[in-house]
Amino acid sequence: MDDDGRRGRVAGVLLAGVLVLVPGCSSAQEPAVAEVATAFADAGTTPDARCALLVPSTAAALAEEASRTCAEAVTEVPTGTGPVESVAVWGGEAQVRLAGDTLFLTETPDGWQITAASCRAAGEGPYRCRVEGS
Amino acid sequence: MTTPRRPLRDNGLGLAFGALFLATLAGQSFAGQAQVNADRLTEGLPPVSWLEFVTSSTFGVDVMENWQSEYLQFFLYVFATVWLVQRGSPESKEVDRIGTGSDEDQLVGRHARPDSPRWAATGGWRTTVFSRSLGLLMGGIFLATWAASSITGWASFNSEQLMSHQDPVDWAGYLGQADFWNRTLQNWQSEMLAVGSMAVFAVHLRQRGSPESKPVGASQHDDTGETG
Repeated sequence: MDDDGRRGRVAGVLLAGVLVLVPGCSSAQEPAVAEVATAFADAGTTPDARCALLVPSTAAALAEEASRTCAEAVTEVPTGTGPVESVAVWGGEAQVRLAGDTLFLTETPDGWQITAASCRAAGEGPYRCRVEGS
Repeated sequence: MTTPRRPLRDNGLGLAFGALFLATLAGQSFAGQAQVNADRLTEGLPPVSWLEFVTSSTFGVDVMENWQSEYLQFFLYVFATVWLVQRGSPESKEVDRIGTGSDEDQLVGRHARPDSPRWAATGGWRTTVFSRSLGLLMGGIFLATWAASSITGWASFNSEQLMSHQDPVDWAGYLGQADFWNRTLQNWQSEMLAVGSMAVFAVHLRQRGSPESKPVGASQHDDTGETG
């Protein structure tokens, strides 16, 4: 019975660890994620700085689609305004809702970067985004 | 005469399978990391390190979904073999011994021997619990790992939802998703097949020296519950 009890305790500790770690990791990342999203939406952020907030594949896709540099094309991307309405972080992926815009982000060695911006919900399917990687 | 104790030999099964478990879990972590990074490459995303991968929900759900089904298998088998038999199978007890058996058969209460576990002899709730402790532990671990599977699966599912620019779902919503039931049932079906087929194959086939088999010369249908 002692062995059974020990095994039960180990399983309990493992489960408790999962329950604590899964939501815990996510909530700790929320301020950093929100900061990137609001910086992208901030009218005072320079075009070059906004492009630097995009993952390279998304910045390249934006430039290619507009046949201009990313810094030129990003000025025409409509962005949300106002405060952050919600932040969801799951693993290395995140979604930020601003008033009037939804952005998707991913965690990179350089910090959180935007994979898609200027997104609108499209029913059951993926969001339709003006800016996203190919 | 008692065989002299030699720790390595006496614990060979536990040690060998413990080592194999760790080796295969390590192998799974490296293969899983490679697969995830291949997917991330096609999405134009940077690769994840091994440490990031083994602490991710993706790895967690892949491990937990298999653990839960293994413990379900043993939990069901421990309980089902109390009431269900398979004539001629070493995995079954004899067909006329269906049920939980008498206290005398089970060496409990006043029938306990001097070397019986203490809770087998004390009676009351302790003996009731101890009499079912193997099944309870297996069932408990099954429920704990299934719950862990649902939580890690939920986190992994939501991560994939965000990667493909879709909304995350809440936990209750995930329990209604095909992803959860596909992961659960694909593991359960294989466990049920393995247990059922083993019980039947062992009626007809032999593995000389294995306690999972009958003695090679044992009768096909008359020798039930014999091991060799």
